[in-house]
Amino acid sequence: MRDAVIGIPRYLSYYSFAPLYETFFRELGFQVRLSPPSNTDILDAGVRETVNDACIPIKIFHGHVAAIKDRVDFLFVPRLAGAKMHYTVCPKFLGLPDMVRGSISDLPDIIAPRLPMGRDGLQGLRSLYRTGVRLTGRRVQAMRALHNARRALGRRINQIQQGGLEALGFDQPRDADLTVALIGYPYMLYDTLASGGILGQLRALGVRVVTPEMVSTREMRRHARAYPENLFWYYSNRSLWAGMHYMTSGLADGIIHVTAFGCGPDAMVNKLLELESARYGAPFMAITVDEHTGDVGLRTRVEAFVDMLRWQAARKEGLT
Amino acid sequence: MMPLYLGVDVGSVSTNVVAIDGKGEVVDARYLRTQGRPIEAIQQGMREIRTATSDGEIGGVGATGSGRTLAAAIVGADIVKNEITAHAVAALYEEPQVRTVLEIGGQDSKLIILQDGVVVDFAMNTVCAAGTGSFLDHQSTRLGVAIEQFGDFALQSTSPVRIAGRCAVFAESDMIHKQQMGYGLPDIVAGLCEALVRNYLNNVGKGKDLQGPVLFQGGVAANAGIHRAFERALELPVTVPEHHGVMGALGAARLVRDEALRGSFSGSAFRGFQIAGHTYRTRSFECDACSNACEIADISHDGEVVARWGGRCDRWQYRERERTAVSD
Repeated sequence: MRDAVIGIPRYLSYYSFAPLYETFFRELGFQVRLSPPSNTDILDAGVRETVNDACIPIKIFHGHVAAIKDRVDFLFVPRLAGAKMHYTVCPKFLGLPDMVRGSISDLPDIIAPRLPMGRDGLQGLRSLYRTGVRLTGRRVQAMRALHNARRALGRRINQIQQGGLEALGFDQPRDADLTVALIGYPYMLYDTLASGGILGQLRALGVRVVTPEMVSTREMRRHARAYPENLFWYYSNRSLWAGMHYMTSGLADGIIHVTAFGCGPDAMVNKLLELESARYGAPFMAITVDEHTGDVGLRTRVEAFVDMLRWQAARKEGLT
Repeated sequence: MMPLYLGVDVGSVSTNVVAIDGKGEVVDARYLRTQGRPIEAIQQGMREIRTATSDGEIGGVGATGSGRTLAAAIVGADIVKNEITAHAVAALYEEPQVRTVLEIGGQDSKLIILQDGVVVDFAMNTVCAAGTGSFLDHQSTRLGVAIEQFGDFALQSTSPVRIAGRCAVFAESDMIHKQQMGYGLPDIVAGLCEALVRNYLNNVGKGKDLQGPVLFQGGVAANAGIHRAFERALELPVTVPEHHGVMGALGAARLVRDEALRGSFSGSAFRGFQIAGHTYRTRSFECDACSNACEIADISHDGEVVARWGGRCDRWQYRERERTAVSD
């Protein structure tokens, strides 16, 4: 059992909880193997293996599973679920282990603990503990592994909230004259394949970028209380609250919402962000990404948006 | 003689080249079909401009359009700008008070909202090309009405029929159905114009407050039927500028002229009109350095790399000094 290899697909909730997952299994004495960063092979495999109607992030996830399934003993596909009545996640997260089992053949054993999501993130992790006990038969070690894994995640979240994009490994331009708030789910923003490389494009244009991960838990809670509607999906709420934060705080010159084509929850998020940014006079643009690899459309929009912000800034300066 | 400034707009359907003088006035404007061969279209455009301007001195080149990177590499551009900014700049020269720019091109459509001479909002069609020039082209062929006469045909209609404009495929089957029910061709063509405008306003213009003055640009602005349908739907006068088909190129030319007069660059990067006679070799290959398997495109002339792109990393990134190194 020891020395067994646990495979973790480097996508979806991995972008939110990587230190938790990795630390937990390492501390239990397993080897952890990640799928490679998203690439076109993964995308192609995902498109091939997944039911046609699924959104592109779900297809990419299936591609990650296909990329490591033959090189691991266990595959970790957590089932994210709502902790309480009024908070949940997109049903595709809820049924993810079942979708993977149904679509891809010759899979290793899938470890699929139910991870309950509340307003502020992961809530109880008893199921993860039980998974550890089941895999190793050692209660104390599982408890300790979970404890250390939680601490690793907490440290990481703090680092990102304070250190910004650099803490996530993305360079920022030195003398940026503009700050754009890039709103979207972690697996859309930080995955170069899914995002179409938008972070790199903004950097090349000399723009500093802030994201929902840079908003403190306190600020998130403040907007959660203040906002009249609860969107009820964990990731969607975060996008909305972060958007509200950047619109009302003046910490960003403009808002770009990155959304996957056909994302159900985002139909709501996008409309609300659009209406709110009109109310607060914040320049807003939505970018819809899909399977197409040609990035010229994305580039045109991002460039035009940045031009527009600079043009407006120059005009304001001219007036004062 | 004062130097001229060139604007090159390489779009999916048309490639346009415009020459303006130091005062910003149009000296010559060329509208060519790209027909999937952008390099040849650029070369043809340069040939025609060269003749029309009797080989005048060029003070700067601006490139725009979806093929702007290619255009910039071939022609040698001082400024490379996206179409939104280029169209907005051209519209502001035309009408300094402009509030709304409607632009319908071959494969995309745009809406630009301005206030006090500054872009405050814009939108482009998303994943679908229904209701753009290509669709009209296709329908004109199918109905046997030349695209140039399409608009006048629509103007003859007294009661346009209703056609579903949400999707090109649905619109087509709807039109066939209406034809088979015996409706007159002008009414069907006018119905198509209204459907296209409705689709544009619901899709690109959704939730936006469109105010006058309104300019209508792009190749489709030549269509009087669409023009009238816009005026009806918006209940506002809509102006079609004289150079409506080449506004992107015009904007790029005016941007580069402004920069040149401001002294932002010295000595244009223009490679000269002789590029019209060059033979370019284009090839593409799949990079095998990692699993991204990027498709790299490489354009060269006389064994000298002019442009290379398509990679996610900078392994194949083409740099200007690489070119000088080769030509030294």
